[in-house]
Amino acid sequence: MGIAEKMKCLGVSRRDFLKYCTAVSGTLALSPAFAPKIAEAIESDTRPPVIWLEFQDCAGDTESLLRASAPTAAQLILDHLSVDYHETIMSAAGHQAESAKENTFEKYKGKYICVVEGSIPTGADGAYCTVGGRSAEDILKEVGGNAAFIIAVGTCATYGGLPAAYPNPTDAKSVKELLPNKTVINLPGCPVNVENLTGTIVHYLLFGAPPAMDKFLRPKFAYGKRIHDNCERRAHFDAGQYVEAWGDYGHKQGWCLYKMGCKGPETFHNCPTIRWNEGLSWPVQAGHGCAGCSEPGFWDTMTPLYKRLPNVPGFGVEATATKIGAAVVGISAVVFGAHGIISAIRNRGLVKKVESSEFEDDDK
Amino acid sequence: MSTKECAAKRFIYVWEGPVRITHWINFFCIIILSFTGYYIHNPFLSGPISTDVYVMGTIRYVHYLTGIVFAMSLIIRFFWLFVGNYYSSWHSFINPLNKNDRSTFWAYLKYYTLLGRKVPHTLGHNPLALLAYIALFTLFILQVFTGFALWSQANPNGLMYSLTGWIFPLISNQWIRFFHYLVMFLIGGFVINHIYSAVLFDFKTQSGEISSIFSGWKAKKRD
Repeated sequence: MGIAEKMKCLGVSRRDFLKYCTAVSGTLALSPAFAPKIAEAIESDTRPPVIWLEFQDCAGDTESLLRASAPTAAQLILDHLSVDYHETIMSAAGHQAESAKENTFEKYKGKYICVVEGSIPTGADGAYCTVGGRSAEDILKEVGGNAAFIIAVGTCATYGGLPAAYPNPTDAKSVKELLPNKTVINLPGCPVNVENLTGTIVHYLLFGAPPAMDKFLRPKFAYGKRIHDNCERRAHFDAGQYVEAWGDYGHKQGWCLYKMGCKGPETFHNCPTIRWNEGLSWPVQAGHGCAGCSEPGFWDTMTPLYKRLPNVPGFGVEATATKIGAAVVGISAVVFGAHGIISAIRNRGLVKKVESSEFEDDDK
Repeated sequence: MSTKECAAKRFIYVWEGPVRITHWINFFCIIILSFTGYYIHNPFLSGPISTDVYVMGTIRYVHYLTGIVFAMSLIIRFFWLFVGNYYSSWHSFINPLNKNDRSTFWAYLKYYTLLGRKVPHTLGHNPLALLAYIALFTLFILQVFTGFALWSQANPNGLMYSLTGWIFPLISNQWIRFFHYLVMFLIGGFVINHIYSAVLFDFKTQSGEISSIFSGWKAKKRD
C-alpha cells in the first residue's frame, strides 16, 4: 500500500498531508516552495528501511514518536519508512524479530538508516545490556557500522545521557564515541522531539545527505539557536521581571524563570518554536524552567535543576560558586588584615627611626 | 645642618602614561564588570511591575560594552610590555637563573611571611608582586575569553563563536559560566591584597608607592 492509500484509510486528507509538508519545510528552514518537493520525496518508493536499535534507555524516545492520540501525517511518514526492526513496536518477538533485523541487514547493507536510542554500556564486557545474547556494543558496531548513516536519538545515544552521569557505573558511551568514523547525526533531547527526527529523515529523502550540523553533530535547523534567544518569556528577562518562588505574582504573570534555574541560556534547541505534542506547549510555556536536556553533559552540568550554576563536586555539602567565592574574599581580608596589624606593631616608631637615620647620614 | 626630609632622594619616572591609564581603566572596568556581572548571575533588584523598563537588558549592555573596553585596555598593556620602559616591560621579570634575582625574591618572600625585615628597594614591581600580576593577567585573559565565548553563544554562526566556541566541546558551557563567575571573587581577593600591599610599602619605603600610580614618579632610595 502506498502512502496515499494509507492516508485515505486513516482519514488523513491530502490537504493535511501538504500542510504537514509545508511545516516540515519550515522546520528545516527551507522555503515553502519546497513543500511539493517534500511531498514528492515522501511519496516516492525509494524509501530506505530503518533499523531502530534500543540499548540502555527508558524507551522515552519511542514514546515521543508514538505519542499522538490520532494518526497524524508525521506518524504516517515514520510508518511509511519501512521500520523493519523496532523492539518496542514490532509485532514479532524473539528469534522472529532478530531474523527480521538480519534480513534487512543483509539485503540493504550500507543503504538502511540506523536509529539508535539509549547509551551503550561498555563496562563488564558489555554484560549490562544484551539483546539476543549479544552485547549492545557488538550489535551497534555490526548494524550501525553497516548503515548508510546513523541517527542517534535522545541524549543517552548522543552523549551518554543519564546512564553516563557521574559516577557512570556501566561505563556508558555515546554512539559517536564507539563509531568515530561513521556519519552520526545527533538528535539530543530527553526525549527527542519527533518533529526533528522526521525533519532529519525528510532532509535525507529530499537531498540524499544529512543536514548541516554544528560541532556537536546536531542539525543546525533544530539546534542552531539557544532556547533563551527564542523564548516567549525573553521580554521579561530583559525587563528584569523574574519568578522568585513557585506560585508567586511573577509566576502567575508568566515572568522569566531565570532565577528558578531555567537552563534556557545554556541550551540549544528549537523547543520554543516547534514545541511539543503537536505544537501544544513546552516546558517554559507550562511554567517550568528548561532543564537543559539536549546539551552534552546533561545531567552532571545542568543540576541542580533549580539553581543557575552547578555545585562543586567533592565537597559533600552543597558548595556553590558564591560560597566558595565569598570564602576566597573573606580569607584574603582576614589574612591581609592580620598581616596589617602585625606590620603596624613591628613598625612602631618607624617615623622616628627613619628620621634619626637620616640625620645620622647627614652628620657623617 | 639639615632639615627634616624623607628617606627618598631622587625621583624617577617609573610608570609611563599607558601603564597608568590602563591601570585606571582596568580599575573602573573591574568595578563595573563585577557589579553588572553579579546582577546577571543573580538579578537582585526587585522586579518592576511595568514592562516599560529594560533593567537586565541595560545591565547586560553595560557589561558587554565594559568587557570590550577592558579587552582593549589589556591589549594596550600587553603591547606596552614589549615597547615600554624597563619597569613596565617583560625585562623586569625575574630570572630564576640569576643569583641576585633569586635572593631578592627570597627576601621579599620572607618579608611578606613576616620572617624577615629587610628587603632591597625595588622601583618597579617587586618579584613577588610581579608573580601575582602574571597570575592576575592570566585570570584577566581567561575572563575576557570566557566572557566573549559565553556572549558568542547568541550567534553560533558568527565570527566570535568561531574564535571562542572551540572551548565548549572541551568544557561545557555551564562550567565556563561557573568559572567566569568564580574568577570575579578571585579578582576581588586580589584587590584586597593589592591595596593592602601598596599601602604597606607606601609606609615602609617612603617612596610614594601610592602617589606613583597617579603621577608616575617614584623615589629612589639614597644609597
